Amino acid sequence: MTRSMLIMLAAALPLPAMPALAQQGGAPAVATPVHQALGQVLPKRSPEQVYAKVCGYCHGRNVGPIILGRGLPAEAVHYIVRHGQNAMPAFRPTEITPAELDALSPWVSQSPARKEEHGQ
Amino acid sequence: MSLDLDRRGLLGAGLAGAASIGLGTGASAASPAPLAPGRSMADFAGAMKAFRGVVGAEWVFGDEEAVAPYDKAYIPDPAHRYKPVGAVCPQSLEEVQAIVRIANQYRQPLWTVSTGKNMGYGMTSPATPGQVVLDLKRMNRILEVDAELGTCLLEPGVTYQQLKDYLDENRIPLWIDVPTVGPIASPVGNTLDRGVGYTPYGEHFMFQCGMEVVLPSGEVMRTGMGSIKGSTAWQAFKWGYGPYLDGLFTQSNFGIVTKMGLWLMPRPPVYKPFMVRHGEMADVPRIIEAMRPLRVSNLVANCNLMMSASYQLAMFKRRNEIVPDGAPLDDASVKKAAKANGLGMWNTYFALYGTDETIAGVEPIIRASLSASGGEVLTAAEMGDNPWFHHHQTLMQGGLNLDEIGLLRWRGSGGGLAWFAPVAAARGVEAERQTALARQIVESHGFDYTAAYAIGWRDLHHIIALLFDKADAAEHARADACYKDLVVRFGAQGWASYRTGVNSMDLVARQYGEVNRRFNATLKHAIDPNGILSPGKSGII
Repeated sequence: MTRSMLIMLAAALPLPAMPALAQQGGAPAVATPVHQALGQVLPKRSPEQVYAKVCGYCHGRNVGPIILGRGLPAEAVHYIVRHGQNAMPAFRPTEITPAELDALSPWVSQSPARKEEHGQ
Repeated sequence: MSLDLDRRGLLGAGLAGAASIGLGTGASAASPAPLAPGRSMADFAGAMKAFRGVVGAEWVFGDEEAVAPYDKAYIPDPAHRYKPVGAVCPQSLEEVQAIVRIANQYRQPLWTVSTGKNMGYGMTSPATPGQVVLDLKRMNRILEVDAELGTCLLEPGVTYQQLKDYLDENRIPLWIDVPTVGPIASPVGNTLDRGVGYTPYGEHFMFQCGMEVVLPSGEVMRTGMGSIKGSTAWQAFKWGYGPYLDGLFTQSNFGIVTKMGLWLMPRPPVYKPFMVRHGEMADVPRIIEAMRPLRVSNLVANCNLMMSASYQLAMFKRRNEIVPDGAPLDDASVKKAAKANGLGMWNTYFALYGTDETIAGVEPIIRASLSASGGEVLTAAEMGDNPWFHHHQTLMQGGLNLDEIGLLRWRGSGGGLAWFAPVAAARGVEAERQTALARQIVESHGFDYTAAYAIGWRDLHHIIALLFDKADAAEHARADACYKDLVVRFGAQGWASYRTGVNSMDLVARQYGEVNRRFNATLKHAIDPNGILSPGKSGII
């Protein structure tokens, strides 16, 4: 997929227009906790954990478009994470590691929609 | 005048494009990334090769695609001046020292970031051309948490999310105090930028205690009690002995902070959030006058936020839901939308922390004072699951969300945001004048007054979100002009920013005067003669 195709695909993602009722504070509680030991760097996180601790604060919570259950191409997810798209910040390999992103991209692509998510 | 004019004159020079010829530069034929002033391709390539020897090739980024994540910013930058040429990502103190020695050898400037998520101030964009981003995000160890003293010692790459998760998982009853983008931002980085949060520990630098700093020479210095062998008070006693040094490393480029101590607030037995709803834009001075004595006396102990309806609506709405595209954002339309969503024209959020008895003691005093200002004093009982109340209820107890990134889609979808944050004393008349001036300026450039006041202990941080569509070239250029106009015209009234983005660091530094500027430059030249650490940060070259 070319860069321009990816951008077009991303631009076509509709943004939510209306807030739903309040969500609960903190990350969506669907992933197992990330255990970071004192004096140790953050361990590698599963796609569910990265989604809960980063993506899921905006996507599906009225800030960014819903991205689960839409069959977004994994390549597009990968590209957008690294470049940011419109209002979305870019995430560097130091924030979401290459190994984490390699697992996250297909996971986002293949994950079903979640009822509790708001927006579109 | 002893400012080194040659050094300063090089700002923005050195624009000889670096051709992308396999040297791992951030350049491309279409958009060459400039090297640092006076540096050759051989210098740059030599530094990058040596950096790879320290951290491994996988943690040095030089080609355009690899540098792209470091080049995304929300601030106005129509000429794309604030572009890094590469990035290097150490994971230890020793690697930072080695990188600094290499930078000195090749005179390669390094732009240091902790997590690089100071949204609306520039993220990882450097203030001058040719810098390699020194990305400390991989240094993300939580080194100590003392549950009894309420302290912690962190590396710069730790996020608020990591710290909160650690406290929660280990059932340590201490709170964090977050800025608005807590999950992905750094307590060390935010404190170094003297950011502000929402709990009684909201003035972040006030609750900092002890630092470890890599100096431009590569030496390591510890501040406060940290240099005393065997001291147990590094995170307990701020001042140490002699000149207080920690401040020198905030909003500056005198060193690289690799560890920082912070104080954490004990979780109170009872937490009770409030919202005070005022109906008119003109209520600004009444609110400030009512709140000031409560803040100065510390009856209201948290750093509270007085949010305009337009700012609040911009978080969760789009502008064209309030007024048609192209129409001015008039007060009547905003008031109508605010009312429909349970909001007033100003919405002031504060909280009480304590026990049932202490809260029962002070709440009537506070209610009386705020009600007399014309506000409706509301709690969770009245506000229920209102999303705006919920947002602040979360923040005022150190909870995490990214709701305010929603501001970025208020106007178009291009993602443009610049914070303008002038400071004033906490007096109603000043706020009234500031609001009038800000509205006049932003509206004259075709933008909206989407703003809040953070009411500190005795000060006001007027937080104005300049929201624009970065995908619209004409609007982007207008935002750039508008921001500069805000800085200059507020400065003329004696109101300067407490913090600013890379797009305006030099401009704001000039407002603080030549004596201050020379003093900073004198320090800089003495400790960093090669000018390798974050040149241009806070206007210091």
